[in-house]
Amino acid sequence: MKYVGIGIPNVDVLEKVLGQARYGADLPSESPLHLKVVRSTKPHAKIVEILTEEALCISGVERIFTAKDIPGRNLVGTITKDQPVLASDRVRYVGEAVALIAAENPEASEEAAKKVIVIYEDLPHVTSPEEALSIDAPLIHEKGNLLLEFHLRKGDVQTGFKEAEVIIEETYTTTWVDHAYLEPDAGLGYIDEEGRVTVICPTQNVHYDQKEIASLLSLPLEKVRIIQSTTGGGFGGRLDLTVQGFLALATFHLKRPVKLIYTPEEVFQVISKRHPLKIRYKSGAKKDGTLTAVEVDILGDTGAYASYGPTVCIRSAIHATGPYKVPNVKVRSRMVYTNNPWSGAMRGFGVPQIAFAHESQMDILARVLEIDPIEIRLRNALQVGYETATGQPLMASVGIGETLKKIRIFTEEARGGRKDESREPKIKRGIGVSSMWYGIGYTGIANPSTAQIEIHPEGEIRLFTGVADIGQGSNTIALQIASETLGLPPDEIQLIHADTGFTTDAGPTAASRQTYISGNAILRASKDLERKMIKEASRLFGIGENDLFLEEGKIKSRRAPRISIPIKEIAKRCGTVIRGEGTFDPETTPLDPETGKGVPYATYAFATHVAEVEVDMETGKVKVNRVIACHDVGKAINPKNVIGQIIGGVAMGTGFALMEEFIPGKTTSFVNYLIPTSKDVPEVIPIIVEDKEPTGPFGAKGVGECALIATAPAIINGIADAIGKRIYRLPASLERVLEAIQKRKMKSP
Amino acid sequence: MKKILHFILNGEPVEMEIEPHLTLLQVLRDRLEMTGTKEGCGMGECGACTVLLDGKSVNSCIYPALEVEGRNVTTIEGLMNSRGNLHPIQKAFIEHGAIQCGFCTPGMILSAKALLDENPHPTEEEIRNGIAGNICRCTGYLQIIQAIKAVSQKT
Ligand code: FES
Ligand code: FES
Repeated sequence: MKYVGIGIPNVDVLEKVLGQARYGADLPSESPLHLKVVRSTKPHAKIVEILTEEALCISGVERIFTAKDIPGRNLVGTITKDQPVLASDRVRYVGEAVALIAAENPEASEEAAKKVIVIYEDLPHVTSPEEALSIDAPLIHEKGNLLLEFHLRKGDVQTGFKEAEVIIEETYTTTWVDHAYLEPDAGLGYIDEEGRVTVICPTQNVHYDQKEIASLLSLPLEKVRIIQSTTGGGFGGRLDLTVQGFLALATFHLKRPVKLIYTPEEVFQVISKRHPLKIRYKSGAKKDGTLTAVEVDILGDTGAYASYGPTVCIRSAIHATGPYKVPNVKVRSRMVYTNNPWSGAMRGFGVPQIAFAHESQMDILARVLEIDPIEIRLRNALQVGYETATGQPLMASVGIGETLKKIRIFTEEARGGRKDESREPKIKRGIGVSSMWYGIGYTGIANPSTAQIEIHPEGEIRLFTGVADIGQGSNTIALQIASETLGLPPDEIQLIHADTGFTTDAGPTAASRQTYISGNAILRASKDLERKMIKEASRLFGIGENDLFLEEGKIKSRRAPRISIPIKEIAKRCGTVIRGEGTFDPETTPLDPETGKGVPYATYAFATHVAEVEVDMETGKVKVNRVIACHDVGKAINPKNVIGQIIGGVAMGTGFALMEEFIPGKTTSFVNYLIPTSKDVPEVIPIIVEDKEPTGPFGAKGVGECALIATAPAIINGIADAIGKRIYRLPASLERVLEAIQKRKMKSP
Repeated sequence: MKKILHFILNGEPVEMEIEPHLTLLQVLRDRLEMTGTKEGCGMGECGACTVLLDGKSVNSCIYPALEVEGRNVTTIEGLMNSRGNLHPIQKAFIEHGAIQCGFCTPGMILSAKALLDENPHPTEEEIRNGIAGNICRCTGYLQIIQAIKAVSQKT
């Protein structure tokens, strides 16, 4: 292959390296109005009245919008539409939007925002899922505080635990984590040349945004246009609306350009978070380490609104077994509303949290049974032909065993390196292993993608995709796939992406799905174009279609090797645009509401990480020296990008393990929300395994979220190896590690 | 009261009238419409706004504009040479996959330049320290470190 499997630089790097790429706050506009959102200071309250007179008197203020100005449905949300763009009668968290100012300059809009008086009537508020589920808890939403309860059953856990020779039961807790993407949300609204309400801003899904805005403004879809600006990261935080609703509402009413830039503190306050999960996990195993049963109870806090709460609820349950063969499984997963900050999509949708639990359990089993941590995982690893907990038989591309085998040599090497430990007695070293699996695409629901590629009589080739590239490199992968099929270099194909004015729905940049799903749509569109070019060539030159094939951008004949006509030449002779179209929807089935049975994902990615850690026994400080990260991605369309995802994922996983903790009411910005810097990140050895997925484009699956999932549990297991004590609550901060060390001292003097 | 500010921006003299409270970042982005320099945190914590002041890296988001009077400011827009060639650091960032979303990139490149100008052959640890004020959420830094190393080895 010429273009697939090659680590070409991303197609948009030049403008980025020159500082020319336009992010949300960089978009030029002729004298726009400046917007500012007025936000709730109460966690739960009725809105009695919003007084705007004083604010309207400030010079430069053009207009102040409240919920009353919304002509359509003032409720948004990907799955459950329960979140108002502007609160109408009630606020449910601190930071909720209640009014929107439009003014001639940013100073005036800020001043006015301070002068808007909201009269509230406090309601009792709820700060934990346990409290939210008590019988006398105040209702956050009319239908009740339980957003969703999901069950998964396989075999009979009672029998399974009876067969077990060892049973481990523990509780694991994770907290809110911020996406901490570097670019604050910002954008521009205007009426475009075709009269459409247009919003340009960072986003992970322009077509979802378009539907929400159309319904908010009660406009037909074609009267709304969303364009993705260069996007400074996403990690799930840009799957829900951020600035879109405000920009669209103001543009709709004022019919002139409007600009909104969130302050960095506002981003921390109002963008979704990773769901805190509390996981009770019981595992049973034979003496040889074979799992006989797992029983898991998951309780999640979705905060004030549903967002991706249902997804996290179900996905964490489905992935609860880890990438292992477990004959008897019982999982209950509940997602609950509270008045805490709302949680949504964040890289992994609950799987990083559940992996912390199942991999800690696996590590405890290995220790108790005195089995090597790689060996115990290999004995349980999923294989082709096995039925997962949802009853899905795995047909192909199950590379978990391969990742474990490939990584084994590194654990041996790392153990060797531990011998010099005695030189510095206050430093203890440890090695942790962790594996993961991740279902590619949305869970048990249709999530199709579409793409088109056309060739113009002038020779121009245009590829259309709705995929939002958020830095991971999907634009480059799209071009590589089309290039490989047509046999033309990427720079001969023009890419039009993520603009609802030109591209069709590709679904979200989420669930590690774009390479697999949109990659397939692009592959199919390119193949469709290939077929059409052959047909045209056959017609033009009177040669049978069966004799013709496409190679290096030319239609060639098998029997007459002299015939070799560039497809551009064929397009010129045809005189019309020739267009190839492709759609792809992975084969899944809905899950049974009682048992969770079904086919949630068409394919799974697998990985194993090994972390080498050092713990300072006096301070509790953990240093991660090296992470070996072995990933089965099916096929790396662009190995450089795959490695980029792996290294970036390890860094984020390191933060998740050791330092990241959003504390509602306390965390305000990067000043008190610490993420890994260049001094904190470990050396990473990325290893790519390619167990090809037959339904994937060139065998590819995905890697985006997978990259981060195994890191935190590997580090936590490494800490346990070093200090002989385990951390059950993330992050493993200095204080928590020190506490664990001291407990150990007390117990075993 | 507005004040007159003179400074050299990417080799060109600039004279402008500004409100004295403006930061260097506000002057660059809002007044001069040079948006290559980014605002991430606005409080000196992320390094996205890094520019060079007389060759040293500063966080322009907290740097009072009036204090650059008479001095040399370099932004990402000024890094290409006069023949339109990329700076070796820019090239290395591309070659080593050091850019994902790219929002940290302008600041990161300028911090790298300040580091290499002062210490052309830094150790890995010196590189890690040199860019420790620049946050990147996407890459995990290692390709950035490799890119900087590669430049230092070429000179
Ligand atoms: S924007 Fe200046 S340091 Fe973050
Ligand atoms: S590349 Fe996204 S923040 Fe560095």
